[in-house]
Amino acid sequence: MNGFSAFVRKEATEIVRTWRIWVLPGMLLMFALTGPLLAKYTPEIIGAVGGSQAAAILKAIPKPTYLDSYAQWAKNLTQIVLFAVIIIYGGLISGERKSGTAVLVLTKPVSRTAFVVAKALVHSVFLAVAVTVGTLVTWGGTALVFGKAAGGPLWSSAMAWLAFGVLFIAIMTLLSSLLGSQAGAAGIGLGVFALISIAGLWEPLATYSPVGLANAPMVLAAGKESAILWPVVTSLALSCVLVALAAWAFRTKEL
Amino acid sequence: MSAAVEIRRLTKTYGHKRALDRVDLQVEEGSIFGFLGPNGAGKTTTLRILTGLARPTKGTVRVLGHDVATADNAVRADIGFLPDVPGFYEWMTAEEFLHFAGGLFGIGRKVLDERTGVLLELAGLTGVTTRIGGYSRGMKQRLGVAQALINAPRLLMLDEPTSALDPMGRKEVLDMLQSLRGRTTVFFSTHILADVERICDTVAILDRGRVVVQAPIDELKARYGAEKVVIEVGEGADELAEAIGRMEWATKVERDTNGTISVTVSDAGVASREVPAMVAARKLPLLRMEAGEMGLEEVFVQLVGGGQQ
Repeated sequence: MNGFSAFVRKEATEIVRTWRIWVLPGMLLMFALTGPLLAKYTPEIIGAVGGSQAAAILKAIPKPTYLDSYAQWAKNLTQIVLFAVIIIYGGLISGERKSGTAVLVLTKPVSRTAFVVAKALVHSVFLAVAVTVGTLVTWGGTALVFGKAAGGPLWSSAMAWLAFGVLFIAIMTLLSSLLGSQAGAAGIGLGVFALISIAGLWEPLATYSPVGLANAPMVLAAGKESAILWPVVTSLALSCVLVALAAWAFRTKEL
Repeated sequence: MSAAVEIRRLTKTYGHKRALDRVDLQVEEGSIFGFLGPNGAGKTTTLRILTGLARPTKGTVRVLGHDVATADNAVRADIGFLPDVPGFYEWMTAEEFLHFAGGLFGIGRKVLDERTGVLLELAGLTGVTTRIGGYSRGMKQRLGVAQALINAPRLLMLDEPTSALDPMGRKEVLDMLQSLRGRTTVFFSTHILADVERICDTVAILDRGRVVVQAPIDELKARYGAEKVVIEVGEGADELAEAIGRMEWATKVERDTNGTISVTVSDAGVASREVPAMVAARKLPLLRMEAGEMGLEEVFVQLVGGGQQ
């Protein structure tokens, strides 16, 4: 076992042994369990508490389908879960600098590049596992509640979002290498998200760059077509570049 | 003997502040080297540069024959380091942390298990199964020393290793460092003079970013010991001490209960001529007059005292 693999193991164990295991997976599991039920019964709940006017409106809109459950999942991923990723990973690198643990690790045979790459890698895998499990639960729950649940729209939507989520882990890795403050990095991360969402409105950019992933999960979850090959490929390539930049920025820092 | 640490004209600036100013230092392999200085003198900055955590503004720094500017994992594999306030993963136990630290060096399981056992014993943490988050500062400091030894380093660098320890903990750490003499080069910074006096063979004193003196500890004490004169008279010691105190060459006069007068002098030659004359003029019986040995504390105060005022 060399320094890199020992550090990867530490990072993975840290997820399981600290608050990290509860926050993202807990959030995803809660959305996965409640999403299908909310999609199915929200109209009935509104009808029950909203009186005759609400009942009239509800008659005019179609009955919910399994695609509404998928839309719920995609909306939670693109909004709430992404925000959580940005805030949680604002201190991915700076947290270890602040607590002094980086000093003990980096005076041993672990390069700063290995330190940064290991963190980005482990947390990307963690996000992938958590989102996959959450999507599986959503899929099963939707099938139970609606009796029908085609896999294509849900999985293509979730995987497109995952590429976007990994991009944001890379962005936060870079920001937390550059900035000492978790709140500062998270603030800038949210700003980047806002910019990407606005840029996604311009179609040529959305077709050929990662910004297309801001809206693609919602489109795919609705069962519609969305060309995501370029956005996904460019997003993963950009993630690698951002992590490389983060490693370079961290190498130039004094600890 | 080759040098484990070689620093040439090292300067480090932070904006307009000069933390280190043309520092020259040589630490011989196998020695126990005390890096002494008041708080804020630049000791931690020097250690951060030696370990590659910070970069020199000017000058060259060589560790185990390698320039730290280009030092890689191979150099770090031979170094053990304890920062002034070690930061641990608080969710780990001491044993887990030592296994993790050993894993970073690529140490095999069997050797690592053996070393972990020995080092936990040394740190007084055998059988402690609570997480590091619940440790006292002293326990963390002892674990810090243990983790710095996990790779059996050629060069052990410690920043204020005893400052957070109680007297027993201090003694244990100092005894342990002393036991490494000849096997590992130990370079440790401190502001506790007694620690240096007790175990170091060589010392450098840093004051406001500059090395004031570097020498083997005996030589240093002898060199400055010549600046102290001890006089013993049969009677009239009080009046004589008062008279000596008025002399220009006497910088400090101390009285012992047995009639001994200790005088710190600015010019030992003048003092050796004038003291006997003063004793003779008062017709006092001179029982003893000799060059006294100055303790490291006095050397330290004399060398850096001005900067503290």
